[in-house]
Amino acid sequence: MSATRWYRPWWNRWLSKRIPPASSVQLNHRRVFIIPSRTGVAFGGALALMLLAGINYQNSLAYGLTFLLFSVFVIAQHHTYGNLAGLTLQAAGGAPVFVGEQAAFRIRLISSVRPHQALALSWPPAPAQVVDVPLLGMVESELAVPAVQRGWLRPGRLRVESQFPLGLLMAWSWVDLDQTVLVYPRPLAGDLPLSAGAGDDPEDEGVKASGHGADDFQGLRSFVPGDAQSRLHWKAFSRGQGLLVKDFVSLVGREQWLDLQALDGDLEARLSLLCYWVLQFSKNQQPFGLRLPGREIASDSGDAHRDACLQALALFGLPA
Amino acid sequence: MSRVQPIPRISLIWLLVAQVLVIVPHLTHLPVWIIALWLVCAGWRIQIFRMRARYPNAWAKVVLMLVAGVGVFISRGSLIGLEAGTVLLVAAFILKLVEMHSRRDALVLIFLGFFTVVTAYLFDDSMLVAFYSLLPVCALLAALIGLQQSVFAERPMATLKLSATLMLQAAPLLLLLFIFFPRIGPLWSLPAPSAKGVSGLSDSMTPGDIADLSRSDELVFRASFTGQMPPRPKLYWRALTMERFDGKRWSQAPFAELAAMPDWQRGGEPWRYSIIMQPTEQRWLFGLDVAQTDLPGVRQLNDFSLQAAAPVDRSLLYEVESWPQSVREAQVARDALQRNLLLPEQGDPRTRAWAQQLRQQYPQTNLLVAALLQHFNREAFYYTLKPPRLEEDSVDAFLFDTRRGFCAHYAGAMTFVLRAAGIPARLVAGYQGGEINSAGNYVSVRQFDAHAWVEYWQPGTGWQAVDPTFQVAPERIESGLEEAMTEEGSFLEDSPFSPLRYRQLSWLNELRLGWDNLNYNWQRWVLGYQSGQQFDLLKRWFGEVRAERLAVALVGGGGLLLGVLALWFFKPWRNRPSPQQRQYQRFERLLLRHGLVRGTAEGPRDFARRAGQQLPAQAALIRQFIEHWEQQFYAGKPADGVQLKRALQALRRALPWRFTRPPERT
Repeated sequence: MSATRWYRPWWNRWLSKRIPPASSVQLNHRRVFIIPSRTGVAFGGALALMLLAGINYQNSLAYGLTFLLFSVFVIAQHHTYGNLAGLTLQAAGGAPVFVGEQAAFRIRLISSVRPHQALALSWPPAPAQVVDVPLLGMVESELAVPAVQRGWLRPGRLRVESQFPLGLLMAWSWVDLDQTVLVYPRPLAGDLPLSAGAGDDPEDEGVKASGHGADDFQGLRSFVPGDAQSRLHWKAFSRGQGLLVKDFVSLVGREQWLDLQALDGDLEARLSLLCYWVLQFSKNQQPFGLRLPGREIASDSGDAHRDACLQALALFGLPA
Repeated sequence: MSRVQPIPRISLIWLLVAQVLVIVPHLTHLPVWIIALWLVCAGWRIQIFRMRARYPNAWAKVVLMLVAGVGVFISRGSLIGLEAGTVLLVAAFILKLVEMHSRRDALVLIFLGFFTVVTAYLFDDSMLVAFYSLLPVCALLAALIGLQQSVFAERPMATLKLSATLMLQAAPLLLLLFIFFPRIGPLWSLPAPSAKGVSGLSDSMTPGDIADLSRSDELVFRASFTGQMPPRPKLYWRALTMERFDGKRWSQAPFAELAAMPDWQRGGEPWRYSIIMQPTEQRWLFGLDVAQTDLPGVRQLNDFSLQAAAPVDRSLLYEVESWPQSVREAQVARDALQRNLLLPEQGDPRTRAWAQQLRQQYPQTNLLVAALLQHFNREAFYYTLKPPRLEEDSVDAFLFDTRRGFCAHYAGAMTFVLRAAGIPARLVAGYQGGEINSAGNYVSVRQFDAHAWVEYWQPGTGWQAVDPTFQVAPERIESGLEEAMTEEGSFLEDSPFSPLRYRQLSWLNELRLGWDNLNYNWQRWVLGYQSGQQFDLLKRWFGEVRAERLAVALVGGGGLLLGVLALWFFKPWRNRPSPQQRQYQRFERLLLRHGLVRGTAEGPRDFARRAGQQLPAQAALIRQFIEHWEQQFYAGKPADGVQLKRALQALRRALPWRFTRPPERT
């Protein structure tokens, strides 16, 4: 299935009308296609030879076996189709990844009428993953798609294929589970010119932030959603004092700002560098702010803040 | 895909089983070394699977192939032809097993297996073989299914069951195709497997030969009559006529087929019947006088026998019409009769003298014949399967000294006497009688029914048949050889296990006749279902046979069958909810019987909590169920419905049994 075929656009349009994207799709006769597989064609050739033997030797049993195998082939249509029909596919989400990693899409397969065997799930041309779904069962499969570009990754239509039981027929469907995974820029290590505020203090230009922010413990404050779990004061919690967070203060004593425009070079490289620093600061629990053209995220720390920043970096400059 | 796909274990298991099943019917005609090769290869393959042996390398493969080829050439004398081809196919089927690593190889092996099954049919197409062959086919299909299954699938029987189900579901369509698929004649002629050791009549014989033939209970042909079957004593099945006598042997006249068509007048009512004959490797067909058939390539010879264009090398079905009352060659040129008067120059002087004496005594031909028959009847002649050996002047010795003989002795001697008396006469070889199977209204004729009788000619009445054996042993004609041999006890003496010897055991005999009937119908309706039969059947069903009707019947019938099967398979009227939903519905129905109804705005969890409060003893179980259900229904925790079902069962057991909803509490 080369992507450059002339009929591609027409085919995609037709498919999205026939099998509209949805997070849960049950396969039925409108959504399953079936044709003889390559093995099936070879099988047909073998049957033709057997028929020839039957004709030339005027042997009724050779005719009989040919007809039996042909009938089995015809009946197998029902089985192969039935192996897909009734199967429900659901998007089960996937965690964000960085460019260069494999984005994992989880797909839930639910059987409601009969067991489904040897279902091959793939985003061609990637190799397929083969799963069996027991009767009335639910199985989750994780499919990897390489993340090559930051932004929302839509893997496109998932190919669900089955040749069960005989391998002579191939039934398949193209399902769009409307799944997306956010791809963050690839983190690239590098030095960062720190900007404080909007560069109002020229003397501070060039102050390097070392990767190892040595923080001082300042005291305890009450938990705010978004605070890192690693900073929870568990001992206090166990004493029944409620959720307290150990509060640190940065030695730099000043808010760190990550500013895209303060950097030079290629946009992607700059985003990658910022991404690296977002991760670094978050690891060190150092509060920081992010400033992108048209968007500013106030200085903060914690996982939620980090994710918001990463998302902003991932989606920067991309059409919504 | 370039990577090699491994063969799943289940597929390998069924391939090994299928191989055994496929090869077994070939054992009767395979050389012994093939079996040795097979054991070695199967053992090797199993060791490969257990990782204790390697796949053969290129050299080993070449050597194995050469060994197999040379072996076939040595044992079959050639590499072409059906016999050698079959051995080669089986050898390939065996060798491929060792070499097989990928799914593709396994596919090749499975296809080879199907072909090997087909070749087995060419050697033997009996009912048993046909039904047996369903086993290897089922195993091969199971192997094919196994190839699709995951490498971890562990239940070979489930795979076999699926393959059997497929075959069972295919049966109606198979039947439809078998009946309606148009049969055509062979596109090119192929050699049939040579029938080894076919016994039967030959085109020349000494009187003792038929006695030898009578030791065999092999089937020759079966004839089924439309309408009333003629009485047994009238069943004289002509095969060929022997017109030459050299003093010892009777033989067919050379170039008999070149003679002109005989002249005969039909008379009386015909008998109509169909015959299915076993291969004889001879060209003659069997028929009651005077027989006609419209089977292509068959013609009536000058001696009223039927002859096919080529030796009959596979079983053959043909329809015959016989006119028993007809007059055969009332007028015929004298020189045409000449060869039926020929005798050796010398020999058997006593017989010749006696013939002259008879001629003078009875100048009229029919009186002479009657007197001759009387002679056989009155004098001390014995009918025996163990006639003494006759050397010089055999007719003399038989007529005047030993007087013990089988049918051919009597027929031969009588023909000799008639010729010596100047009456044109010839010997007819064929079969007499047969076993009447009343269940199927047909008669089975076996080798021991072989018989010889006499035809003589006189002007005006033409050829007439007489049977001297009838004068000596009438029970042979009326009830068969066994009756005739009761005293001597020589019926099928050499085959103590032949079921035909035990016909007096009535249950055994019924069983045998039933089985015979089954085989006959098999041969008639399955093996014989070729163009002629098909045409007749379809004509009977549809009146007229036309290609369009055939196509409509095939396509329409096939479509209908598939539709019905699809309905049965998919049950579209049953729009089932998900298993979790179903279990939850059962849960609500169960609680309903205990007076608990979920409110319209009440969520399942709240409902369960309320139920737990109302039924405190079962609260834990209710909570357990609802937790499982929530996990599965909302959280999408991978599981099958079994866990939920168990939780529901536990709850059901814990609750007191109620069939209906209790009255509302007020």
